[in-house]
Amino acid sequence: MSGRKRVDGQRAYVLHAHPYSESSLVVEAWTRDHGRLALVAKGARRPMSALRGRLMAFQALEMGWFGGGEVKTLARADWQGTPAGLRGRGLLVGYYLNELLLKLLPREDPHPRLFDAYAEALAGLAALVPEAALLRRFEKSLLQELGYGLTLDREADTGRPVDPAATYLYVIERGPLRMVEGDEAGDAVAGRTLLDLAAGTLEDPRSLAESRALMRRLLAHYLGGQALQSRRVFMDLQEF
Amino acid sequence: MSHPTSLDELIEALRCLPGVGPKSAQRMAYHLLQRDPRGAERLSRAVGHALATLRRCSRCNTFTEEEVCERCASPKRDPSLLCVVEMPIDLNAMEQTHAYGGLYYVLMGRLSPLDGIGPKELDFDRLLARVGDGAVKEVIIATNFTNEGEATAHYLSELFHARGLKVSRIARGIPAGGELEYSDAGTVAQALIERRDY
Repeated sequence: MSGRKRVDGQRAYVLHAHPYSESSLVVEAWTRDHGRLALVAKGARRPMSALRGRLMAFQALEMGWFGGGEVKTLARADWQGTPAGLRGRGLLVGYYLNELLLKLLPREDPHPRLFDAYAEALAGLAALVPEAALLRRFEKSLLQELGYGLTLDREADTGRPVDPAATYLYVIERGPLRMVEGDEAGDAVAGRTLLDLAAGTLEDPRSLAESRALMRRLLAHYLGGQALQSRRVFMDLQEF
Repeated sequence: MSHPTSLDELIEALRCLPGVGPKSAQRMAYHLLQRDPRGAERLSRAVGHALATLRRCSRCNTFTEEEVCERCASPKRDPSLLCVVEMPIDLNAMEQTHAYGGLYYVLMGRLSPLDGIGPKELDFDRLLARVGDGAVKEVIIATNFTNEGEATAHYLSELFHARGLKVSRIARGIPAGGELEYSDAGTVAQALIERRDY
């Protein structure tokens, strides 16, 4: 039986948590080397629980847990490094990242590189780095890491390098195809945008705008119709 | 599953309480039926009565039997100060301090983007109408120091500032009578970051 399996000293983040039984929490944790896990934090909702304040989203943690079932038991969680320092709008963007991970990342499927990209994105949000480019880079890492084969720098049909001066149509699951007469112009994307997105250097306003539309279309496809609550709340907040 | 009997229905109904799982619900149901049928009857009447008579105070949004609750109607309270809290239980915590003489607004929740709780669900319009009554001069934001509470505080402060109100946030740090040795790292870190001239 692997029921007593014990793991300790793992870098992790809390993506979300919800109440469980009288005094506990079920934490959706994302660990660097073991992927996304559901962990019961026993007693974490008791008034004097030390765990309660530590299990905060966006905070770098070091965790230990045990158990072999689908839901494991959290043994410990300690803060690692300085407080996350996300404030205001940065928190809302952080929730969006967490929701993407919760909806797209399968359980117990480790992605250390994506984990590092997430940590970097959070550090950027805390340092008030402009969020648009940061978000696109993270979304790109997410789709690449999840194995959705994002081809950005080569033409899907010819395999030739993408021409920065040409206009393309991005076909999901295939890649960029040169625009021809009669193609839907709404989904057009400049070769420059694809190359900027591939390199992660999104400074040009057009590259930013087009890569946003492209990522949105790709994410909607892989989310299979699931709406992103955090995006809706964010939009609602802009209206006030 | 067979058709729910009235016992199953009672157990299922008790599970709507926070933190009550199937086992606790069963224990409660058996207790009510076996040990305390009078208590059960009282509970049933009280729930029915509360549902029929309680409503939200038109000023502070908390539960009351009147149009305006006793606290909001009190002339002893300072109407220029409005403290925004998440839940009625937080209001009680503030009142226990005996350190506050202003009025309150209870949000009945907090922004919780992953659960789809946004400004519409929390009825920000109602709060904005309340702070715009002309009497409120300062809004004290006393939402919790969780990520959700902080996000709520941030957006509320922007809305209040835009309406020319003075906005403050309750302070946080080492608890009264607390010792650094026994405080958790996060609290000490925040206390250090938010230290003030002395």
